[in-house]
Amino acid sequence: MKRSLFLTLVLVVVLALIAACGGAAPTPESAPAEKAESAAPTESAAEAPAEAPAAEAVTIVMWTKEGEADGGLQYNQALAEAFMQENPNITVEVVKKKDVEELREDFQTAALAGNAPDLLWTVNDHAGPFTAAELIQPVDDLFDLSVYVEGALEAVQLDGKTWGVPISSGNHLMLLYNKKLIPEAPANTDELIAKGKELAAQGVIPLVFNQTEPFWLVPWLGGFGGKVFAEDGVTPTLNTPEMVNTLKFLYDLKYEAQIIPPESDYDGSDTLFKEGKAAMIINGDWSLSSYVEALGDDLGVAPIPQVSATGKMPAPYTAGTYFMIPAGIEGPKLEAIKSFIQFVTNEENQIKQVKELKRLPALKAAFDDEAITSDPILKGSVAQMAVGTGMPAVLEMRCNWDAMKPELQAVLADQKTPEQAAADMQAAAETCIKTLE
Amino acid sequence: MSTNPAAPVQKFTPAPARSRFARFFRASRGDSPFKRLLIHLTLILACVIAVYPVLRVVSVSLRPGDRLLSTSLAIIPPDATLDNYLTVLLEKDFLLWVWNSLLVTVATALIGVALASTAAYAFSRWRFRGRTAGLIFLLSTQMIPAAMLMVPLFILAVRLNLVGTYRGLVLAYSVTSIPFSIWILKGYYDTIPIDLEEAALIDGANRLEAFWRIVLPLSTPALAIVFLFNFMTAWNDYLLARVFVANATSIWTWPLGLQLLQGQFTTAWGQFAAASIMVMMPVVALFLYSTRYLISGLTIGSVKG
Amino acid sequence: MEKLTLDVILASLSEVGSTVLFILVGVVVLEAVLYLLFGVVFKNKYTLPILLLAPAVVGLTLLIIYPLLWEFNLSLTNMSLRRFGDKAQYTWVACQSADPGTIQNWLTDCLLRNYADVFRLPVLKQVYFFPVFGRTILWTVINVVFHVAGGLGLAILLNRPMRGRGLYRTLLILPWAIPQVIAALAWRGEFHYEYGFLNIFLTRLGLTPISWMSDPTWNFIAMCIVNIWLGIPFMMVILLGGLQSISQEYYEAAEIDGAGAWQQFRSITLPLLQPVMTPAIILGTIWTFNNFNIPFFINQNELETSDILVTALFRAAFQYNRYGFSAAFAFVIFIILLVYAVVYIKTVRIEGIYE
Repeated sequence: MKRSLFLTLVLVVVLALIAACGGAAPTPESAPAEKAESAAPTESAAEAPAEAPAAEAVTIVMWTKEGEADGGLQYNQALAEAFMQENPNITVEVVKKKDVEELREDFQTAALAGNAPDLLWTVNDHAGPFTAAELIQPVDDLFDLSVYVEGALEAVQLDGKTWGVPISSGNHLMLLYNKKLIPEAPANTDELIAKGKELAAQGVIPLVFNQTEPFWLVPWLGGFGGKVFAEDGVTPTLNTPEMVNTLKFLYDLKYEAQIIPPESDYDGSDTLFKEGKAAMIINGDWSLSSYVEALGDDLGVAPIPQVSATGKMPAPYTAGTYFMIPAGIEGPKLEAIKSFIQFVTNEENQIKQVKELKRLPALKAAFDDEAITSDPILKGSVAQMAVGTGMPAVLEMRCNWDAMKPELQAVLADQKTPEQAAADMQAAAETCIKTLE
Repeated sequence: MSTNPAAPVQKFTPAPARSRFARFFRASRGDSPFKRLLIHLTLILACVIAVYPVLRVVSVSLRPGDRLLSTSLAIIPPDATLDNYLTVLLEKDFLLWVWNSLLVTVATALIGVALASTAAYAFSRWRFRGRTAGLIFLLSTQMIPAAMLMVPLFILAVRLNLVGTYRGLVLAYSVTSIPFSIWILKGYYDTIPIDLEEAALIDGANRLEAFWRIVLPLSTPALAIVFLFNFMTAWNDYLLARVFVANATSIWTWPLGLQLLQGQFTTAWGQFAAASIMVMMPVVALFLYSTRYLISGLTIGSVKG
Repeated sequence: MEKLTLDVILASLSEVGSTVLFILVGVVVLEAVLYLLFGVVFKNKYTLPILLLAPAVVGLTLLIIYPLLWEFNLSLTNMSLRRFGDKAQYTWVACQSADPGTIQNWLTDCLLRNYADVFRLPVLKQVYFFPVFGRTILWTVINVVFHVAGGLGLAILLNRPMRGRGLYRTLLILPWAIPQVIAALAWRGEFHYEYGFLNIFLTRLGLTPISWMSDPTWNFIAMCIVNIWLGIPFMMVILLGGLQSISQEYYEAAEIDGAGAWQQFRSITLPLLQPVMTPAIILGTIWTFNNFNIPFFINQNELETSDILVTALFRAAFQYNRYGFSAAFAFVIFIILLVYAVVYIKTVRIEGIYE
């Protein structure tokens, strides 16, 4: 008796529910809701269709590495807005990823699941992993690449193809100094150490830089005449006298000359320099706009000082920021992407980028603009870039970075001799390259 | 099998000497003033340790400019300003992110509690085959490193068309929090004497009614705990949200939104700290409100005494 | 980007509402079918528990068991960055030699090669499995011991009527209420050589500041400090509840018998707290063992000497792209924890499971 009652009750409830939500079931109800949401960001586009009804509506989802702190993301969004004004049928959705690493990880995951974005705004060394996994397409046939700076193009060339369109060139380290504390930049390392000791005696920290990343090691390695790869571009050459000398030099800066702080990461160096407690910093072109803001006319820019022992200039890696187009994008979407890329890299926008972000352009033509030629900061940046070398984009470079990082830290923490560290770097890099297969 | 947890498990051995500090290790009224002072001092020190790092975040949020680091130990900087809070509130979509988080989190917690409360009842009151294995399986899901399920869950979400929707997030969060909830609730149900339900059954109620009218109301503290835990998990999640709704900026939750403030090398620390303080508020409020449940609900709940 | 407008609120509410409705309808239909099947057709005596369990089981199967199986399949493959994508160029690991010989060789060289590799190749760049495992155990033991000791100490102090008790309790819970990622980022700044308050204190006391970020030992200690700070409130709350449920009478009786404080603690407090403490310790151990945020974010310099198993797993999978290998690695971690939990449960015999 009770049981059948319960059953009837359940059935009645089920039927009532089905009847009640039959019309308002999830799909029909949520579909308009989604539309309403996606309509909001495209208002500018939505007004226009009446004028250009022929053009097919295309949405481009672009992932970017830029953040808000240095204005990069705002610049991205402003470009997208301006482009959508001109092309009402195209919607560009800018999606910010937390950092370069996360952009790479998530792009791989998304591609694996078949849900990749349509365009990437990222750095050159992603070309290595993305081409290995066949996730992006070459751009040689899509664009006239001869208008771009060669140094920037080289950094995304692999297997004879170009895998990205440069947006800016540079991304290189340089020496920035506070003219209040040190009127002129040292020309070579002997001068650097001598002046550094004077500054230290006055209670000023002479030089700061991110001591944890090998990106800050590589310029000096160039200054001592070394390279991370052999001629073939994929065999690591880390256990060399040049590397040992470089590590010794950095060790001496810290423990002999004592002109760099005992421990210093990116944020720490940055703050010390901004607060005027450190006289010099080695940092990249991405930081220029914030230092101009912090120090104004007291900011000076110079190449990293010549290595006195070899007479060579340190060679920071140069690259830039790039558009990469995922594999499998074609048809109207590819066309839309092409016009967006051309829009971003036209002369007007390239100069705008110079002014807003203090990054050097990727377009050759833009270098003659007075925005660069009349700006001492950017002239310094150009001078440094001239002695830089293109950053390798091959997948093996990842192994080199990972191999160098802990050893650099160990030497600077006085836990390994430079000789031992160099040998361990090489071994680690070789093991790593084996696991790539 | 529903003994009071306070029953003595082991007999103590009486000792001849009686210590002056006898009461130090247990609750007691007549503590001496000196001892009370000592206790208060210890607790104050502990509170300072607990709160100080949070205050440092407050301090960063009040600093003008993007200065994460400062050698000053003062909590309120001399040039304190609320600019960072205003920027985050007015110029960013902070309210949208918090709203999304809140919506997803509340829906998750409710669904999670509903699904777990019934399943836990079955585990508590019936001895079916596979019950032990089931409980161990549930415990073992707590041991799965979160990063391990990220890729397959994402693939699944793409196939089921759940990417970029609230639906996907709500489903994923509520299911992943079920095992822990079942454990807590099952333990709590175990402490409720079965006689109460039997009495109800004799009075003509069926099993479901007994569950609904007797067991559930008695379990309020444990249900509150489970709600709180589900809430916390969903509220703080970044790993899943990062792949599930990355492309749909309109349904970003706050952890995704906050990453806008971070760049490759540069972070807007002041705004980041201000936003952190603001997202902390709802959780702290929830904790404050539920402290009493926390204490009674978890303890008896987690085991059967 | 968009703002929070009324339209957005309504749209999102309707989508979430429809989700809830969708789940509700799904559950009701499922229940009805199962009821007809078991209750009416088979007249199974476990019909009600089956109905009660069904929704959770369906959800868990879909969202936990399926991904687990997927991951297990992946752990048998040679998937890496070079064999990637929807073309599914990866296959089950191929044998290194044409003729594997013995079955054991066949297992370690072919089918289970990824699993064997976990133990015989570096799990990251330079560190091998066992040192990382050892460090993970050290990490877990240190943390859990401090969590329990600290939590118990504070719980005992709080378990008495006194002024300001509510305020103390509230403030002490604070570290638990803070989102872990934010706590980790906040603490990371405090270990800064020049600007962290720890070093500022040390300098003011006239001591040498510590290189928290680059010195492996100190970096590990830094991780522990943060995690201990985060974990004490949970233990404190649980143990406080346990203490409150212990009747005063036991202590009064003990006092009459002349038991000292330490004896009372050992023979009354500890044993009576046992049922509360055991599951808390199990959960605490598992959470600490699997804690990702703290070791990952505090170890900003990515010292391999500070990695514990889960962070190593994350790096192997997402930074070094050894997908097949890291799936096997994940299962090894999973199995270690499972064995621990089963052994612990069997020795301590939590009655909730075995009765």
